[in-house]
Amino acid sequence: MTTGTALDPVTVEIIRNALNSAADDMNATLIRSAYTPIIYECGDCVVALLDADHQVLGQSAGLPIFLGNLETCTRATEERFGREVWQPGDVWILNDSYLGGTHLNDVTIFGPVFVDTELVGFTASRAHWIDVGSKDPGGSMDSVSIFQEGLRMGPQKLLSGGRPERSMMDIIATNVRFPYPTTGDMHAMIACITMGEKRLQEIVQRFGLPALELARDEIFRQTEVLERAVITAIPDGVYAAEGVLDNDGVDLDTPVPIRLKITVAGDTIDFDVTESADQTVGPVNCGVAQAVSALRVGYKLLVSPDLPGNGGSFRSMTTQVRQGSVLGATAPAACQWYFSHLGLLIDMVARALAPALPDQVAGASHGDSMIVLTSGTDPRYNREWVSLEATVGGWGAWNGSDGESALINNVNGSLKDIPIEVLETRYPWRINEYRIRPDSGGAGRWRGGNGVVREYLALTDCTVSLWFERSRQPAWGVFGGEDAVGPEVVINPGRPDERRLLKVNGTAIREGDVIRCATGGGGGFGDPTERAAEDVRADVLDRHLTPETAVSRYGIDTSAVA
Amino acid sequence: MGSYRVSMDIGGTFTDVVTYDEDTGTFAAGKASTTPGNLSEGVLEGLGSVIGRTSDIGFLVHGTTQGLNAFLERRGVKVLLLGTAGAEDSYHIARGPRTRLYDLHYRKPEPLVPRRDVRGIGGRIAADGSELEPLDEAAVRLAAADVRAQGHGAVAVAFLFSYKNPAHELRAREILLAELGDDFTVSLSHEAAKEWREYERTSSAVVESYTGPIVRRYLLELEDRLRSDGLGVPLHVMQSSGGILTAESARARPLQTLLSGPVGGAIACAELSRQSGRRNLIGVDMGGTSFDVSLIVDGEPDVSAEAQLEGLPMLMSVVNIHTVGAGGGSVAWSEAGGLRVGPRSAGARPGPACYGRGGTEPTVTDANLVLGRIDPEGFAGGQMTLDTDAAKTAVAALGESFGLDTTEMAEGICTVANSKMAQAIRTITVSRGIEPRDSSLVAFGGAGPMHAVFLAQELGIAETIVPRFPGAFSAWGMLQTRIRKDFTEPYFFLDADLDAADMAATLRRMQEQGLATLDDEGVKPEQRAVAHAVDIRYEAQEYTLTVPLTDADEPGRPEFLTAVAERFAQQHQDRYGHANLGAPIEFVALRTTAFGDLGKPAPQEWPVARSEEVPHVVRTVVFDGRPCETMLIRRDDLGAAHRFAGPAIVVEATATTVVPPGFQVTVDDAGSLIIRAQQEVEA
Repeated sequence: MTTGTALDPVTVEIIRNALNSAADDMNATLIRSAYTPIIYECGDCVVALLDADHQVLGQSAGLPIFLGNLETCTRATEERFGREVWQPGDVWILNDSYLGGTHLNDVTIFGPVFVDTELVGFTASRAHWIDVGSKDPGGSMDSVSIFQEGLRMGPQKLLSGGRPERSMMDIIATNVRFPYPTTGDMHAMIACITMGEKRLQEIVQRFGLPALELARDEIFRQTEVLERAVITAIPDGVYAAEGVLDNDGVDLDTPVPIRLKITVAGDTIDFDVTESADQTVGPVNCGVAQAVSALRVGYKLLVSPDLPGNGGSFRSMTTQVRQGSVLGATAPAACQWYFSHLGLLIDMVARALAPALPDQVAGASHGDSMIVLTSGTDPRYNREWVSLEATVGGWGAWNGSDGESALINNVNGSLKDIPIEVLETRYPWRINEYRIRPDSGGAGRWRGGNGVVREYLALTDCTVSLWFERSRQPAWGVFGGEDAVGPEVVINPGRPDERRLLKVNGTAIREGDVIRCATGGGGGFGDPTERAAEDVRADVLDRHLTPETAVSRYGIDTSAVA
Repeated sequence: MGSYRVSMDIGGTFTDVVTYDEDTGTFAAGKASTTPGNLSEGVLEGLGSVIGRTSDIGFLVHGTTQGLNAFLERRGVKVLLLGTAGAEDSYHIARGPRTRLYDLHYRKPEPLVPRRDVRGIGGRIAADGSELEPLDEAAVRLAAADVRAQGHGAVAVAFLFSYKNPAHELRAREILLAELGDDFTVSLSHEAAKEWREYERTSSAVVESYTGPIVRRYLLELEDRLRSDGLGVPLHVMQSSGGILTAESARARPLQTLLSGPVGGAIACAELSRQSGRRNLIGVDMGGTSFDVSLIVDGEPDVSAEAQLEGLPMLMSVVNIHTVGAGGGSVAWSEAGGLRVGPRSAGARPGPACYGRGGTEPTVTDANLVLGRIDPEGFAGGQMTLDTDAAKTAVAALGESFGLDTTEMAEGICTVANSKMAQAIRTITVSRGIEPRDSSLVAFGGAGPMHAVFLAQELGIAETIVPRFPGAFSAWGMLQTRIRKDFTEPYFFLDADLDAADMAATLRRMQEQGLATLDDEGVKPEQRAVAHAVDIRYEAQEYTLTVPLTDADEPGRPEFLTAVAERFAQQHQDRYGHANLGAPIEFVALRTTAFGDLGKPAPQEWPVARSEEVPHVVRTVVFDGRPCETMLIRRDDLGAAHRFAGPAIVVEATATTVVPPGFQVTVDDAGSLIIRAQQEVEA
């Protein structure tokens, strides 16, 4: 076999590993030095090394949702200011939603890499900043314009020739609510891209730029070959799926449809989301770059889960996004809650391709972050608190396995819940119940995972905001598997002042009030009547199913075992 | 009392025994096959190979993998878990993270207890330790009835806030033992791990109850056998923390011994650091199918307060061992025309092609053999003869697909493997905020010394150290350690709210408790020591750093808050690259460690070489694509102050050291090989 290059396969592999490892070192530097848990715990960040043509040489993603769009930031900078703008020692910053694609909290910091006087590439990192000066701390659930969402930057120069641009840093420090940890995270990101710069320079100096370029071409070729082989195996045709968000968070009565059409022809695959809803008044919009990222995540989950991403990835893939839609927002659309429809879109890729990839796909997941945000003054310490929680839920079943219960949604990475003992020690709440929610997963030959119930008792008067999604379209099943039960939030269940709601930006809660949050399950896989009776009995024994549901969904009487 | 100090390290394949004769001041190492069916059989055989009589033993320490194997093979006892009603699903919710982000078919770590074996028990303790609702004792009795009816072998009890107020857990045990008999195993979460976070604490108690009965039975049996064989001293057991315990204490707290296997190597590195005055070491332990990295930073092993096994957490002191890659068993293969080495491993079966057990894919071990870097007759102390032709066939077949001849392919496999291992080491050091160049590399395990110099070169490390008996280095490490007992007390206060006198009083109480337990370990008063530390973080951060205190009374002194904040800031700066002196800090937990010194072997002077000449034969080994005339040296022929230049291969019973061209070897006073680049030695 010929490798298509003049470089021997050993050197190619060493360079390939060195580039991936350089990205790992950047990521380790960022995680190690970050000030805020959203970076070092949730991994709400991504890093990449790019070549001089903005192609990805290596990357390490904390969050799948950030996959492969850092290059849009260096490209946008070059398009605006010209190629000659790149100077050694410069560091740039950008968070404009319409360029970077995500909300303003996601800040990208990047810089050119020079060896001697030659531009050999770029390094970039993106991380979530806890606050960028939006109308409410940390971001709002009901913003209607980007101008309510905080400081919009870039591309701007942060360092010139290695020296900090004090004026820019002052603008940042005076426009965010928590300047100390935020500028701390900024410096961690600068350290991260500096680490990448050093590693890339070492690689160029050790192997020479011509060898690096030959290796790059061969590495990209290998990735492309592997991905095209998977696409080729998918039968040609058009695959479609439709999903819907409950609403945009502001107009609670109007659903927001998302429409996906996938066309497979030979070794190419096209993703078209142009038929999706127009951009909304509420903040569930994103820029084109982020829509492309989400589609890449959906693609990668099915096509190349184990391959490190690089410039050879996604070459078989094209995307069509309409400017002015929720997936191609234009100024001044609000983008704060940019991820709800992207989580949905990722699930929809699997739904559309289910007929072609029956063994790879799964039923839908509970699908969103299911946020509980509380604030007030803790009477025990007479101190103010703010607590933000995402709530876990059920994931979809696939051929050969039930879905997993009580798992974080896809856009939150490896986020862990807050232990009851930590929550009650820190904040004036008591958790009455935190259990897996039986019967919430969709029935099927393979059962969808269950959501959870988390019930809070308020020990003082305070304010609560909620964002629970996917009630209009709970997680769907595939191949005859049933849909899951959706989310439900009840304030003071069974009391005269009982309220049901899913989204609210700041509602008053009194001492003694109870908030009962239930998250949705995952979709089932296959016909429930084909589920083995012993699996149904096991589900009843393990309290995933109530005996009543065992009868109503599966026609199996388990009273003998239960 | 006998004059031998003995350590035994039971691995999957071999049991290593190291003895130190206090009369003559000499070490010896022995090896026996591990007998999986009856481990104490293999232990006694291994002992017999180096020592005449068991009664000659004056000190005996043992690293056991009994509990670990029961865990890994999922053959622990059937456990019933009692949790707080309403929160009893904590163990199965498991905090809900997805650690493999691109896996649509993600499953959580497989729990040790199915959900049907979990009971929610009424009764609730509040965050401040007060009782909100009394324990539902009838529910505990019902659970005991379930145990009898369903044949559970142990019960784990993990109630909310038991670390603040253990009354409900203690009462539950009373009821259970009354119902089930005093010998029944009941693990209480506040005893297994006295720390907050209910999932992690519950998981600790579950692991302890799942593996505990097996570890207990094994230790009892082994002690019996040794005693009837004439052993007159207590048996000691290695802990995950790097310290040791008497077997009697280990039976009470078996969790602490669970991850003790690879820890001996890190402790050996720490001792080597102490003896040689080198403050920073990177320990590389490479076996046939494993590659473990440990760090010694500023003379101390890198210890964490939390560990994970197959994704399940345990709150306990543990020496950090990073497992990266698959060592010599890593398979080389082709993907889309590209060369890959690992992460897949040929394992022990079928193993590398050269094992002759049916493996056909080339591995790193096969490549080393093809290059002449392994002596086919002397592998694993001569316990196994390798099939060079099978290795060549496997490597040649892969080479053909790349247009490389067999030698080029073999060297390519080694080069790729070395660069991957080196990069993995570098990322570990970056995460820890350390520069590899500031450390020396210590190579041990059967295959570590074969790759070490290449790794050091790739990492820019100036010096590689290959200690005596590299294959038994971990067992040697166990002889260097001391009794260690860890105590934790959750102590959650913002600095502004701290009652310093209360903190000091709590530490004094912990100190008394710690010293008292050393009585049970048979430690004489003059050999006791205590160390205190406090877990601190900046307000609202998730992670903590363990900051040492000068003594239990330190918090009572007026300058305490300033001093401890500065110490924390310095540690934060070293570990994370930044600090914020003056920002509010939170105290999270107090830690007290009691140490008992049982003595250790004196550092050994290695016999000085009688002449400058190095006895050797000449072999052909491939380096940089060229066959080189290479010295093949027996380690036993080397004395202190011997010097020689690469290329050379140093062989001994437990390991093979490869010295490429351009490197210089010196044998130091302790008999270690110190390997440096030629030009640096000359400079």
